[in-house]
Amino acid sequence: MEIDQEQIESFGVLLKQGAEARIFESDFVGRRSIVKNRFSKKYRHPALDSKLTLRRLNAEARCMTKARKLGVPTPVLYAIDPLLHTLTFEFVEGKAVKDILLDFGLYGINEELMNELATQIGVAIGKLHDGGLIHGDLTTSNMIIREGTNQLVLIDFGLSFTSTIPEDKAVDLYVLERALLSMHSSCGNVMDIILAAYRKSSKQWSSTMNKLAQVRLRGRKRTMVG
Amino acid sequence: MKEFNVAGSNISLALFTDVSNSRELLDSIQAGTLEPEVALMNASLIPDVFPVLAAAYNALIAKSRDSLTTRTLHSELVYNYSGSKHITESLKRFGISDKTTYILAVRFGASSDEMKDVAKLIKGKEVDLGELETKADEIQIQKHYKITSQELAISSLSNAITCRIAVRDAL
Repeated sequence: MEIDQEQIESFGVLLKQGAEARIFESDFVGRRSIVKNRFSKKYRHPALDSKLTLRRLNAEARCMTKARKLGVPTPVLYAIDPLLHTLTFEFVEGKAVKDILLDFGLYGINEELMNELATQIGVAIGKLHDGGLIHGDLTTSNMIIREGTNQLVLIDFGLSFTSTIPEDKAVDLYVLERALLSMHSSCGNVMDIILAAYRKSSKQWSSTMNKLAQVRLRGRKRTMVG
Repeated sequence: MKEFNVAGSNISLALFTDVSNSRELLDSIQAGTLEPEVALMNASLIPDVFPVLAAAYNALIAKSRDSLTTRTLHSELVYNYSGSKHITESLKRFGISDKTTYILAVRFGASSDEMKDVAKLIKGKEVDLGELETKADEIQIQKHYKITSQELAISSLSNAITCRIAVRDAL
């Protein structure tokens, strides 16, 4: 189905646009909400396009709710629209971890807050991985600290998948490590605190850590020879 | 009685305790002769109005696309609220049985006269919707929706139900 300008406007106020989706702010039966619309790619064959879009939409919804079942806070899912390719979920009020860490770089580090934050990140990833869920895009901009409760909320499960192999978990952590290194090198060793918390939270930490050491040597991609 | 606006439509909710005629109500629902047509839900499985509104939203969207799974908009609401794909089981659990005494009545696009008729239909005491939270049967809710204590540590009961309602068709 062709999605015209009028429909896009009815989603709400456009907040962000990415390569895969547009993010709108809206209202869902009286609650402030976010609408994530996966738009169609005109360069793909229409049949393939709608199939892929729908599959990714459903996968994201499943992973988001699975994370909650594992005890990791994510936005509350309100509705899925398989026709318009949208997800509607809770608007989480608060600051992105990215901005908090960048502020540390500007105004000096609040050690207590940083420890608390990094510990929450490690514990959350440990829970996800033990439940066989890989986030796939762990960056500090995909983490929000909820206003009032200071609870860490993970967002954007668009690249998530289920897997229990150490390789995938290690790459998940490696992506975060690289992100921290490039964005927040002035914050000191946040990753060490995160990994310490991860070890305590995940029962399968040792195989993941061994793999992580290997991944660090070769990078995110496996060398495909032969 | 309280009115809500969902996806441009009006939805009226009314909560009743000590209902004595659930057997007759059930019979007329099954015969399709309930007038005005209304969704009657087992209120002990409803801790908050929000998941009901989310289910209503899905029902209205399905109606507007002529893709209702059940026969009427009102039965679709009960089915949607269950978060399960099993229609019979959903209507049994979340609809009323002949022993139900605690009922939430929901009607789409009702006029105030119609809601008065609904109140006459149900022989019970109307109470405030705020009672939902205190009167909810948490153990039954956790059992039906398979909500673990792990999840409840980070989420309210109402939000856990809302997620299950929303994600059903993606599973």
